Amino acid sequence: LQSGGRAQVIHSLYSDHHGWLYRFLQRKLGDACDAADLAHDAFLRLLARPCEFDSDEGARAYLSTIARGLCIDLWRRRAIERAYLEALAGQAEATHPSAEHRAIVLETLFQIDAMVRRLPEKVREAFLLYRLHGMAYKDIAAELGVSTRMIKRYMAQAMLHCLLLQAGALEPAGK
Amino acid sequence: MSASDLSQPGAHAPGFESLQQAAEWFAVLGSEDATDADRQRWQAWLDERRENRDAWRYVENVGLQFDTLQPDADDPAVKRALRAANRVTSRRKTLGILAAIGGAGLLGWGAAERAGLRRMALAWAADYRTGVGEIRDFVLPDGTRIWLNTASALDEDFGPTLRLVNLVQGEVLIETAKDAARSFAVDTPHGRLTALGTRFVVRRFDGHASLAVYEGRVEIRTAESGRSLIVESGEQATFTAAEIGSPQPATRAGQAWSRGMLVADNIPLRQLIGELSRYRPGHLGCAPEVAELSVMGTYSLADTDRVLALLEDALPVRIRKTLPWWTTVVAKD
Repeated sequence: LQSGGRAQVIHSLYSDHHGWLYRFLQRKLGDACDAADLAHDAFLRLLARPCEFDSDEGARAYLSTIARGLCIDLWRRRAIERAYLEALAGQAEATHPSAEHRAIVLETLFQIDAMVRRLPEKVREAFLLYRLHGMAYKDIAAELGVSTRMIKRYMAQAMLHCLLLQAGALEPAGK
Repeated sequence: MSASDLSQPGAHAPGFESLQQAAEWFAVLGSEDATDADRQRWQAWLDERRENRDAWRYVENVGLQFDTLQPDADDPAVKRALRAANRVTSRRKTLGILAAIGGAGLLGWGAAERAGLRRMALAWAADYRTGVGEIRDFVLPDGTRIWLNTASALDEDFGPTLRLVNLVQGEVLIETAKDAARSFAVDTPHGRLTALGTRFVVRRFDGHASLAVYEGRVEIRTAESGRSLIVESGEQATFTAAEIGSPQPATRAGQAWSRGMLVADNIPLRQLIGELSRYRPGHLGCAPEVAELSVMGTYSLADTDRVLALLEDALPVRIRKTLPWWTTVVAKD
């Protein structure tokens, strides 16, 4: 059976390389739990998009590419989470959202970040200032020190990027 | 149409060109300088091809990702969080912006709402809709007949005890079917209309809505103040979320559109042009020196160019086309 064969391939990849990947991640992250989680995630990615490798070097190069992406993903998530919690800490206790609500907000922030991450900085900022802050183009233009006309171009560029991601024409960030 | 439908773009993946145009439209309509003419051209672009509508659905999907951060710009927590965002270093600015919003868990459409983007997007995702210049009739599941006027949209939300429809945009003529067990109501942002009779027209404007009753009676209940008034057959009334105007006689022009006719009963030219412009993509305007000319007649809405030609024959006016989608009625030289 084909699926049985694929499971077999993944199984042997796992037993050959999991230990190596875990150590690779532990060196990068300096944390055993994170390393274990990401090593696991990397193999899940491999399951979702199976590849064939003609050598151990090929397999390890591919796994380390996935793992690096996952590390960056993790670092960004942590940075967003930290910035979010700092913003929350500045507010009165009474206005703090529930743990569940925080989790939803954070997950949404991660998704939005993954969507806009690869955009040039000004384009990304213009898009977020518009979409999240509801700022007018002329105010965004003043904030970023460019013309209003340029903001319109940034908006089209940012939206096209998001549309292409959605249409599957671009690789999502962190995958 | 539910959010889950929106998150599943149609089977036809739009091509690059349509996506690019959709992104351009997003940028044009998001601007505080966007005009009605822009919005009409956008509508025409949507109407042009199925692929364009699919591409616009992708734009909507991107918007949905942001919608989890619910709108409530007035919350003081937002302002505090926004100040916090301004203190972060520029390297972390994006994160700060994200976090500030997340921190509040608030804010949302903002500028997009100003541009009416959301409403337009809702309109084209509605159960029943018409494009600019289109007038169509539909039969609802209970046998009720509706006529949707140009650029209109209506959602149907029938339940076990109430046959509710929501007028998302534009104008509708309703001829209700009998159902003793379930009353029939139309929702607008300004209030709910409950049909006690059978034939009436509801139209949405920017800040208010109007009701004209041709058979039976209809009750208006305003959305905010909860005021109510029963409008009798042969009467019309306008209402906002707070107030209801006193009923006036309903004009026969009010339902003529359902037969594809525009009836001008001694009305100023500007009013006729205003009505006519609803049926044409692009801008249609009228110069001030001819605005008050009086017009009488019955015109076919199917061909607005022909109506303009007829006006040119009957009145001391000339039709000036500056651009393909920009038409002005001016005084004859």
